[in-house]
Amino acid sequence: MKPGDEELVASAQKGDHQAFEELVQRHQQKAYRIAFDFARDREEAKDLSQEAFLRAYTHLSNFDGRSGFYTWFYRILVNICLDYRRRQKRTSAEEFNETVESQIEPGHPTAYPVSPDQQVIAGQLSRKVGEALESLPPKQRTAFILKNHQGLSIREIAEIMHTAEGTVKVHLHRAVTALRETLAEFV
Amino acid sequence: MARNENSRMTACENMEQDLVLYYYQELEIAPRSGVEVHIKDCAACRLYLDEMASILPLTVKNDEPPETFWNDYSREMRQKLADVRDRQPWWRSWTFFLQPWPRPALAMAAVVALVLTITVGKGFWSTQESPPDDQALIEVLPVAENLEFFKNMEVLDVMDFLENPGGTTKETT
Repeated sequence: MKPGDEELVASAQKGDHQAFEELVQRHQQKAYRIAFDFARDREEAKDLSQEAFLRAYTHLSNFDGRSGFYTWFYRILVNICLDYRRRQKRTSAEEFNETVESQIEPGHPTAYPVSPDQQVIAGQLSRKVGEALESLPPKQRTAFILKNHQGLSIREIAEIMHTAEGTVKVHLHRAVTALRETLAEFV
Repeated sequence: MARNENSRMTACENMEQDLVLYYYQELEIAPRSGVEVHIKDCAACRLYLDEMASILPLTVKNDEPPETFWNDYSREMRQKLADVRDRQPWWRSWTFFLQPWPRPALAMAAVVALVLTITVGKGFWSTQESPPDDQALIEVLPVAENLEFFKNMEVLDVMDFLENPGGTTKETT
């Protein structure tokens, strides 16, 4: 039977390096995907999620078990991603959009352009989505990504964002309203 | 992909948040039933739900990195963790004892030690240092007897005279 996260954390706190590496193995794919939702760039997402693991490792003594490791770690990750977004705001929106467009992956619903027209529309949509998400305030963006992209529950999001469930619902509603207005032309 | 003209309709303002939560299946049974009853008769709210179902999935950008990516990821992560361990000073290992979980126990031990110190200490001083009441009186009386102030009571006569200058003065003892 595999040890739970909390057992691995306890072992890691006592200096068991392999226990923490096991935690990384368990959470790296989900951490990467959350980071990718914020950064929309593969290398950036890798760096951000790895930075979150390193920060968790160096601050492991601060983990008191009041929340689950999952909640504690994803709070660190989301904060790192939001810091990244603040830094990115210094770069031009145009540069960001080029990155988004260049990374349309096969398998994505918008990534099967069968005609030049559809290719143009897919590019426009990708750019619009990037702009729309970018324009959301950080808390709305976080609530939206954790709900819409990651499928976390309102309660989990509230724990990660360290806020009330009602506040998360308001952020989510406002984010959806803003995105609906921005992207309605693609429906 | 022209914009649907109906999308200009807006949902009922007091229903919007519930519609969002309904879409994400985050409503309890009672409000969920309320939304279902409402959208049967409200075309605008039905459209709002349909739009969410069309728009929101578009915002998700899937990324499935190949296996080699994850191999590199794990290898880099192990190396970075090893670098962090190498940089940590030797005394960091002792911070285990300052971790949050033993803090309540340490705090309780400190409180118990403090209480014991005060109670035992107080008992010690009271038995060893504080003289009994009789003993204190015996020590104080000879000192008081030798005080000139208590021996010479003429000062009281002077005070009586000042209070009653016309009357008779007490005889001095």
